[in-house]
Amino acid sequence: MRLKNILFAAVSAGAIMVASSSFAATELTVQRFFGACDADFGTNTDVSKAVGECGIITSLINKFNADNPDVHVSVTTVEWPGYDQLTAQFASGDAPDIVTIHESVLSDYQSKGLLLPLDDVLSANGLTPDSFTDAARNGATKDGKIYGLPIDTWTMLYHINMDLFKQAGLVNADGTPILPKSTDELLAQAEQFKQKTGKPYFVQNLANETALYTRNLYTYLFQQDSDFFADPKHVKLDTPEAKKVVELYKAIFDKDYTIKDLDYGGAINAFLAGEGGVQLNGTWVIGDYNAQSETAGTALNKGGYAVYPYPQLFGGAHAQYADGHTWAVSQKDRTPEEIAGIGKFLKFFADNDFEWSRTGHLPAYKSVITSDAFKALPHRDTVAAVADLGKPLPAAVQRQFAIQDIIGEEMSAAISGQKEVDAALKDAESRVNELLENL
Amino acid sequence: MAEQLTLPQTATPAAGVRVPSADIYAPKWRNFIFVAPYLFFFTTLLVFPLFWGIWLSFHKADTFSTGKFVGFGNYIRLFNDKVFLQSIWNTFYFVGLTVPALALIGLFLALCLNRRTRSAAVLRTIFFSSSVLSVTIVTLIWRIVYIPNNGLLSIVYGWFGATAPSFISDPNLAMIGIAIATIWWCIGLPMMLFLSALQQIPQDIYEAAALDNANRWQTLRSITLPSIKRTFVLVIIIQIVLQFQLFGQPWLMTRGGPNNLTKPIVLYIYDTAFRRWDLGLGAAASEILFILILIAAMAQYLVTRRKGEL
Repeated sequence: MRLKNILFAAVSAGAIMVASSSFAATELTVQRFFGACDADFGTNTDVSKAVGECGIITSLINKFNADNPDVHVSVTTVEWPGYDQLTAQFASGDAPDIVTIHESVLSDYQSKGLLLPLDDVLSANGLTPDSFTDAARNGATKDGKIYGLPIDTWTMLYHINMDLFKQAGLVNADGTPILPKSTDELLAQAEQFKQKTGKPYFVQNLANETALYTRNLYTYLFQQDSDFFADPKHVKLDTPEAKKVVELYKAIFDKDYTIKDLDYGGAINAFLAGEGGVQLNGTWVIGDYNAQSETAGTALNKGGYAVYPYPQLFGGAHAQYADGHTWAVSQKDRTPEEIAGIGKFLKFFADNDFEWSRTGHLPAYKSVITSDAFKALPHRDTVAAVADLGKPLPAAVQRQFAIQDIIGEEMSAAISGQKEVDAALKDAESRVNELLENL
Repeated sequence: MAEQLTLPQTATPAAGVRVPSADIYAPKWRNFIFVAPYLFFFTTLLVFPLFWGIWLSFHKADTFSTGKFVGFGNYIRLFNDKVFLQSIWNTFYFVGLTVPALALIGLFLALCLNRRTRSAAVLRTIFFSSSVLSVTIVTLIWRIVYIPNNGLLSIVYGWFGATAPSFISDPNLAMIGIAIATIWWCIGLPMMLFLSALQQIPQDIYEAAALDNANRWQTLRSITLPSIKRTFVLVIIIQIVLQFQLFGQPWLMTRGGPNNLTKPIVLYIYDTAFRRWDLGLGAAASEILFILILIAAMAQYLVTRRKGEL
């Protein structure tokens, strides 16, 4: 009798274990940048209450976990952009399941076979690439396949302190800012601004910075129709077009039309304190700056805040450099449940792209960018044009972050006068080509 | 072995047979067990990576694959790379800025604080306390000091209506700014080494000097400094080896800028191997750094071996 009881108990325990394992949530690991804000949004699942990149992405993942008891996503937050860590994780076979990757970086990992092509996963969840905006689809497509679920398109913008623009007399009758239409106009308006306000026209984070310089160069090379990456393995930077751009920014530096010596955080503080007219920063600060402009007593509340794409300074194509964020999936053996969980996660982010677009980034989905809800968000009427203007580097160009550092270092040296412009462009070209020749 | 040990007890002294005694220094393989754990980690974490690194430096390798053998190709690329040559210069410049300052300031503090008063003990603790901080905290503190507009330095300069020098972005000041932060961080160890050396000088020599009416300067020059000469050399060499490995401070304060003027060799290696995935080139740069530190370590060995001469 006793033996029978023991046997019965053992069988029951085994059955419970099998049953519980079959009901256990599928575990997925997610790695992302965009900062950590658990103190404010660690348990928030009401996404509409979240603000900023960190708040919204944290709340979205919380909501996904709450809405999907069969899938559990655990999140690792890395310092932006986190690629050194990700590369090490891939090298050691310990990559996360889902990870934030810039469209400009996808090809580095995709070319090594480290990312899962997502076409099948997306179509199984009713997502088709034709629902993406053109900029997002082009950015996420490598060798004809989708390697990341695009969540936005971002670019650099002119963030404008309207109070100082009014003081400088740079406001149209309809209240919009007067922006330059040529390099000469830019320098003249910057001079006028400096004379009238006693402050520099630009607030730039020039201290030990590389990305800003490079993005500025790409934008104004596009606007001159310079095909500097005609061959994805060979850049041409020692050109009259590049020289024009560097000399323009050097003139801005030399004539004190910009704040110098500030790093990224310092430049944001300076702009919010009203120390300059135009800050060159990305789409991601629109939400925060708009909130500042609605807060009484702030510099942006005085005369208002406006934000525009970079002005067209040259006679070529209407374009400016853009990139985008994606969710990419690492290549590894997975169970059908894990694949299904990943599909659910990606579908959830595609469905909630409007919430993400509240950060200031442009939506990656046609249905969102044309929606009334998106158009009703502040300043989207002026920046939505980026969806058409936005242009990335050719998809086949690898190591774009490393290239960005090299070009930024050389431009910084030229603009601050440590190096001749010609020498800096020559060095930038040879250093980038040396890097690309040795991939 | 057991037989050998029991033999002396059984043999009678009267027999006059000379019994070989056990050599306690004779090699016994079982003793290897005691050093095996250390040897295992030493071999796997130091010796193997050393040779693996040398092997990699002769290959065109990236983070995910080892490519073809390129001979000295990576070393040739390295010495054609202006940024690498700049990083070697930067490293020597930084060592030149920090090591003499650490030795002299450390000595000065030790001389000032070598007394048995409560205030000296408190000050010793205060000066040593920065050494326990991590590089992240140290660079954070100094960024708050240096940062333009709201930094401590600009506030102080602001009181006098002046503009603070930009230690983070000025090409002539950036490395000096990093050196100042490093000296503040590392001053504790040299100070402690000098203090311990000062406390080993016999007191009677000072008493004799006092009887001979020697003044303070004469005592310092003729007694104190010659007595701590060995420690002085030791401090210099330890600091050379340590400061050659500069990485965290420029990475966190300037990212190697402006225009690579604060990029030391270790940051160049990190940049090349892990950010550009050019592992072969990074390994070659590591070997150059290895040789430089080896020279400094050999100098330390030679100096400490000739103890009697110092």
